[in-house]
Amino acid sequence: MAAAIALTQDPPISISTKFLRLLPGIALLFAIGFAGKLLEKNINAYAKGHHWAFPNIEYVLWAILIGLVISNVFGLAEIFKPGVATYEFWLKAGIVLLGSRFLLGDVWKLGGVSLLLVVIEITGSLAFMTFLGRAFGLRPKLTTLLAVGSAVCGVSAIIATKGAIDADEEDSSFAIAAILALGAIALFTFPLIGHALHLSDHAYGIWSGLAVDNTAEAAAAGALYSDAAAKLAILTKTTRNALIGFVVLGYAIHWARKGQAHAVGNKATFLWQKFPKFVLGFLLISLLATVGFFTKDQNTALANLSRWAFLLTFAGVGLRTNVREMRKQGLRPFVVGFIGEIAIALFTLVLVIVTGHFYGF
Amino acid sequence: MSERPQAEAKPDPRLSLDTWAVLVALFAAALIRLGIISRVPW
Repeated sequence: MAAAIALTQDPPISISTKFLRLLPGIALLFAIGFAGKLLEKNINAYAKGHHWAFPNIEYVLWAILIGLVISNVFGLAEIFKPGVATYEFWLKAGIVLLGSRFLLGDVWKLGGVSLLLVVIEITGSLAFMTFLGRAFGLRPKLTTLLAVGSAVCGVSAIIATKGAIDADEEDSSFAIAAILALGAIALFTFPLIGHALHLSDHAYGIWSGLAVDNTAEAAAAGALYSDAAAKLAILTKTTRNALIGFVVLGYAIHWARKGQAHAVGNKATFLWQKFPKFVLGFLLISLLATVGFFTKDQNTALANLSRWAFLLTFAGVGLRTNVREMRKQGLRPFVVGFIGEIAIALFTLVLVIVTGHFYGF
Repeated sequence: MSERPQAEAKPDPRLSLDTWAVLVALFAAALIRLGIISRVPW
C-alpha cells in the first residue's frame, strides 16, 4: 500500500527548480515595468519636443495598462504564472524599504492620525457591508468575507478570514473577484476624483490608503497622483493592514460561537500568525533611518530600490486583472461590493476632508 | 450551541511570504549599508 502511494506521488521539486520556475514571470514583470518607465520618459519628451499638450502619464499607469492588455487580450502563458504571482512579495519588500523615507517621528504622528481614521473606517465599513450583504440575501459567510475584504485589506484579509471561519472555496473566490474588480475601478477613478476636488497630496494619499482595498492598488492609486501621495497611501494602508489580526479574530470567535467554525486556541498566537510581518520590517528600517544608520546617499539608494520593487508590483497588478475571469463569478457579490465601495469611498472622503480641516492638510 | 472541538493545526515550519519579503529587504539594506551596493539608479 505504502509502495503504491509512493509510486503515485509526484517527485519532490528542488528549491533550485522552484526558483528557476519563477524567473520567466519575474522577467516579464521587469520588462513591463521598465517599458512603462521608458514610455513615460519618451512620450513626455516627444510631446514636449513637438509642443503638444499631452497629459503626463506616469510609468505606473503604463505598466498597469500593458499588463492589462497582455492578460486580457493575449492571455498569460503558464510559464509566466509562478513568477507573476511574486508581485505581492515585491510589494512587501518595497514597503519595508520605503521605511527609509519616513522618520519614526513622522510615522508616529501620521500613523496616529491614520490609526484613528482607520479604526473609524473599519468599524463603519464592516457594519455597512454586513447590512448590505443581508439586504441582498448573500450567504452569511460570503457577506463576512466581502465585509473584511472591503474594510481591512482586500485579498490577504479574505484569505486569512476564509481559513479562520471555515468559509467555502466558492465564497472566497466570489469575494476575491469582487474586491479585485473594484480595486481596478478605484485605481482609475480615484486620481480623477482627487484632481477634480483639488485634494492635496496628503489628503489624497490618506484617502487612497483608507478606501482602496488591496495594498498594491492603494499604492498604485497613490503613485498615479504623486510620489508624496503614494507615501501617505502606503502608510495609511499599512496601518489598516496592521489591524487585520483583530478583525479576523473577532469573526473567528463569532463563527465559532455559532458552531460553524473551529474554535480559536491561543488568541495571542492567533494575532501573531495573522499580523503582517512586513509592518515590523517597515518600522525597523524607519527606526534605522531615524537614528542616522544610513547616510543620505544610502537612504536614496534604499528609496530607489523600493521604487524598483513597486515597479514590478504595478506590472503584476495589470497582469493579474482578468476581466473574463471576474465576469464568471456572477453579478450579485459584485453589486454588493460596488455599492459598499462607493459608500466607503464617500464616507472616507468626508472623513479625510474634515480631519484635514483640523490637522491642516 | 456548543463550539466545535479545537482543531490545533501543526505550525508550518516554512517562512511566510511576509517574512521572506522582510528578510530580503533587510539583506538588501545591509548590502547598501556595507557599501557593497553603492548606488541604485532610478
